[in-house]
Amino acid sequence: MNWLSYQHFPIYAIMVLFLGAFLVVLLGKNRVVRAALALLSVSASLALLVALVPRVMLGGEIIAYWMGGRGMSGGYAMGIALEVDALSLFFALLVAVAVFVACLYSIQYMEHDDNVSQYYTLFLLLAGGVLGLVLSGDLFNMFVMVEILTFAAVALTAFRNTVTGALEAAFKYLVVGSIGSVCILAGTIMLYAQTHTLSLAQLSLLLPGNLNNATKLAFALLFVGFGTKAFLVPFHPLAADAHGAAPAPISVLISGVLTKSGIYGIIRLVYFLFQNMDLGAIRFLLVVVGSLSMFVCVTMALAQHDFKRLLAFHSISQIGYVLTAVGLATTLGVSSGLYHAMNHTIFKGLLFLAAGAVLHETGTTDLNQLGGLAKRMPRTTALFLIGAASISGIPPFNGFASKWLIYQAAYQKAVESGHIGYLLVTIVALVTSTLTLASFIKVSQSVFFGRLPERFEKVKEAPFGMRLAMGVFALLCVATGLLPQAVVKTLTLPAAQAVENVGRYIAAALGTEMPAIRTVTAVEIGVWNPINWLLLLGVSLLSVTLVALLGKYDRVSENEGAVRAGGKYDLFFGGEKSVHSQVGGGDLFWGFKHNWRHYFSFMHDLHSGVVNDYALWAALALALAIVFSQIVL
Amino acid sequence: MFKKLIEESFGKSPWLFHINAGSCNGCDIELVSVLTPRFDAERLGFKLAGTPRHADIVVVTGPVTRQSLQRVLTAIEQVPEPRCIVTMGSCPQSGNVFRGSYAIAGPLSKYVPVDVDIAGCTPKPEAVIDGLVKAAEILREKRRAMK
Amino acid sequence: MLNSIAFAQTALLYLGYVLIFPGFLFCFVVGLLLTGIDRKVVARMQRRVGPPVLQPFYDFFKLCGKETIVPDAASRTVFLLAPLVGLASLVVLQLFIPVFKFSVFGSLGEVADLIVILYLLLIPAVAVMLGGASTGSPYAGVGLSREMVTVLAVELPLVLVLLSVARVVGRETGRALVFSLNTIVSFQTVSGSLITRVSMIPAALAMLMIIPGETGSHPFDAAEAETEICEGLLAEYSGAPLAVFKLSHAVKLLTMTSLFVALFLGGLGTPIAQLVAAVGLSGELAAAVTMLLQVLALVLLCIVLTVLTISFVHAVTARLRIEQLFKYYWTVVTALALISLVLAWYGY
Repeated sequence: MNWLSYQHFPIYAIMVLFLGAFLVVLLGKNRVVRAALALLSVSASLALLVALVPRVMLGGEIIAYWMGGRGMSGGYAMGIALEVDALSLFFALLVAVAVFVACLYSIQYMEHDDNVSQYYTLFLLLAGGVLGLVLSGDLFNMFVMVEILTFAAVALTAFRNTVTGALEAAFKYLVVGSIGSVCILAGTIMLYAQTHTLSLAQLSLLLPGNLNNATKLAFALLFVGFGTKAFLVPFHPLAADAHGAAPAPISVLISGVLTKSGIYGIIRLVYFLFQNMDLGAIRFLLVVVGSLSMFVCVTMALAQHDFKRLLAFHSISQIGYVLTAVGLATTLGVSSGLYHAMNHTIFKGLLFLAAGAVLHETGTTDLNQLGGLAKRMPRTTALFLIGAASISGIPPFNGFASKWLIYQAAYQKAVESGHIGYLLVTIVALVTSTLTLASFIKVSQSVFFGRLPERFEKVKEAPFGMRLAMGVFALLCVATGLLPQAVVKTLTLPAAQAVENVGRYIAAALGTEMPAIRTVTAVEIGVWNPINWLLLLGVSLLSVTLVALLGKYDRVSENEGAVRAGGKYDLFFGGEKSVHSQVGGGDLFWGFKHNWRHYFSFMHDLHSGVVNDYALWAALALALAIVFSQIVL
Repeated sequence: MFKKLIEESFGKSPWLFHINAGSCNGCDIELVSVLTPRFDAERLGFKLAGTPRHADIVVVTGPVTRQSLQRVLTAIEQVPEPRCIVTMGSCPQSGNVFRGSYAIAGPLSKYVPVDVDIAGCTPKPEAVIDGLVKAAEILREKRRAMK
Repeated sequence: MLNSIAFAQTALLYLGYVLIFPGFLFCFVVGLLLTGIDRKVVARMQRRVGPPVLQPFYDFFKLCGKETIVPDAASRTVFLLAPLVGLASLVVLQLFIPVFKFSVFGSLGEVADLIVILYLLLIPAVAVMLGGASTGSPYAGVGLSREMVTVLAVELPLVLVLLSVARVVGRETGRALVFSLNTIVSFQTVSGSLITRVSMIPAALAMLMIIPGETGSHPFDAAEAETEICEGLLAEYSGAPLAVFKLSHAVKLLTMTSLFVALFLGGLGTPIAQLVAAVGLSGELAAAVTMLLQVLALVLLCIVLTVLTISFVHAVTARLRIEQLFKYYWTVVTALALISLVLAWYGY
């Protein structure tokens, strides 16, 4: 094979990241060199993956790549394989884009830290690990990559070990993350012992309809393992700690990329390896875990008063949407779930970067201390608002487009299957979305609007490099929101098609004859045409603005000099000059919390913050999963 | 056309902001009684506003105590132009029975130009409505004088 | 050439839709009229004379003539832009609600369905929240908290109502689910208003209770309680931006009541069309007369609904505390909507 042939691109994409990781340590004494190296390797990786889009996404080709040319022997897949179908490439692209933007952001964000070259090494290791995981064609490699990314993520969580709680968070993550990794390893071993192969394709051929107790156990182990990586309930408290302590670009990777690898693992597990999505119980499992994550985490987020912890809980809540949609086992469900996964990476990335910008400029992310930054950081505020509108599902941004598809998918499934439970899912999803809006209104009020505390009078706008990175994400938010049809057609539907054409995935790796593509279509029942809406809004906004300007709307009186003009421009508060009470971020929605106080106090008691408890939860979840799999599979 | 419309509207929709500058509550209650079904000042467009930002007419009651002076002035300052200042009852005009007290900073006219004085202790609701209607007319004149 | 003329005509037509009917001018006039009627009816119920029906127009124009003060603490752009965005998005939303059979998007295909409308309804609320929050006023902080909780409270029953409507119409048209508002309305013109169905009566009741909550009127106006928190979010607004917010509030009345008409009373346009046909009119004249009568009927229905859900309730109730409000919506109203959904699910 020619060295420049496209079949090599996936392995090159992984290699440049790992290569970059080691070169950064060797040559990274100089600031410019290490930044350039890191940026070069992530952009090379991104470019290599983008080059594959026409063939794999649009052409439906599946690249099966055997390392060193060792492929099948004696009917068994012996070599180490990379197998790239549209699903893998979809996730790989997400990873590459998020990593690229996070790297861009890191350049200025990490300027004042020590040991930045080690930071880049770990950063690139993490990126390479996730990329390797989603492109890998065998189960053991997936485990290896899981280990790499988990340890890189743990180290990065504790990177700013002077921050209170960083080491603790890293330790918790290490303990529970290891439980997850061990589960994956144990599951892999079980499967290997039973089938004598590690290739995903061959496992997908051998396993379905051919289960014994050991492979059922393996299912439970792998499900829990990947669930840990996605921080699904009950592993969600880890994410909050980890995000709270990690630097912002790392939060982007952990929430936007690492959790996706867990989702990817689960999709491979249920749609490919075991192909048991036609079992009602498995759909039930996915949908219930998804909805639980969705709802529990959004309510947990409402109770937070730290910007990054709040975002962390939201990211699991959004992952819940993804898992729920994927668990519906319809084409529309899978496609909308993947769409939401993509959007989540984009908007959550943007939000974490905005939180990072706030931290970078003010030194805190405590909602009770911040306030009024809109006046000092107007651009960051605008970017944050785009991200907040996206995650809360305000049209026309991307979060709305995908959530809207998910509601449809769930309701459609409810009607088609006649199960009223799916109806409940639709309702939970819709309510969760409003709760999400509530908590982002809280953030805007407590961080960007409201009163500016005196000690932040001198705060400056975030530097250009950081704003640029946020701008890229914001642009993607708008673009993927305005062109839902295009996104579905080029990205998520091919991936959903790959999910439904397992036979081709198997055949491509094992070299047997390829079955014909079963084309899938997602039937939408709703109507949403964002471009037309935006046009109308544009026209009407323009006309209001014109009328307003004609009516001298902009002739306002503002305080022009430094001299205070008799209190005219001060805020009105009943004449009492000294008293100014801002409602604290944590207490903003007491009207809601009061009615849910029993729930909240229950949750508060449950989340003890003790790692032993969380390990116990993990064990409990594993036990439940094992019992469940033994009964229903 | 719009200019005329706006001018006319000023006379028809004056919103009141009520400041108690140390009043004995007599005038306050009487001001509220003006809005009750019996007198119903809302038929003339009067409405109590919650904040000075929404107000057109500031109604001051009470003798303007030292404690309240700065707050009264700030609140009046915060009312957007054009605005009218009305004193209600004898206290803000003369100090009434509190005149000469060490605690009194009034009368109000020492600090801001007062447009209408409604005399009485307390003024009858009819008188209050009459005064407010005069204030609304002054408001319209003030708007007309604006460019 | 011909193409460009046709395009120009379409563009002009849509500009007309946005600016005149059912866009700005219509919203402006009818919205403020509804508010005026509401104030008058409340006054009459309290045995007052009450303000003239045109009072909201006077208020609007007066506010336009006032000075606009931007407080020191406010961020100017958000402060001034938020009212405009709120109004524009509401007016666009009004375009999506068909007037009986007439829909703006007859030829070009629909733009938004029920679920989208649910979310578009959030935009004006978000605009007023961000605008208020941008001033930094402590009253706005409290107002924002209450406004958001009100939105949360109303959202759940509203979702349930919309889902049950979608299911009923879907079942009867044989398509499982229908989210398109146009289809829902044209279905009603053929087979009668939805409110005549047993399963839809609780939903209609719930929707009637949602209208005052969504528009923030008594007893659900904790968010803008002018006597305790100085109108909350609007505390620092003055002059023209305040006028625009008041206008948006009025337009929201129109939006919610006409949404109710579209969802539950969509069949009432048919007798009007039959009447016009019976008189013996035909052709374009008949279409024009029908249209005119239907618009009048819509305005009339909106007035009736406003009086029913807002004025009557306003005159006889006192303001609920915010947590009572939340509880009320998530228990009573949600239960009603849920009954409807279950009935719809099992085909009643």
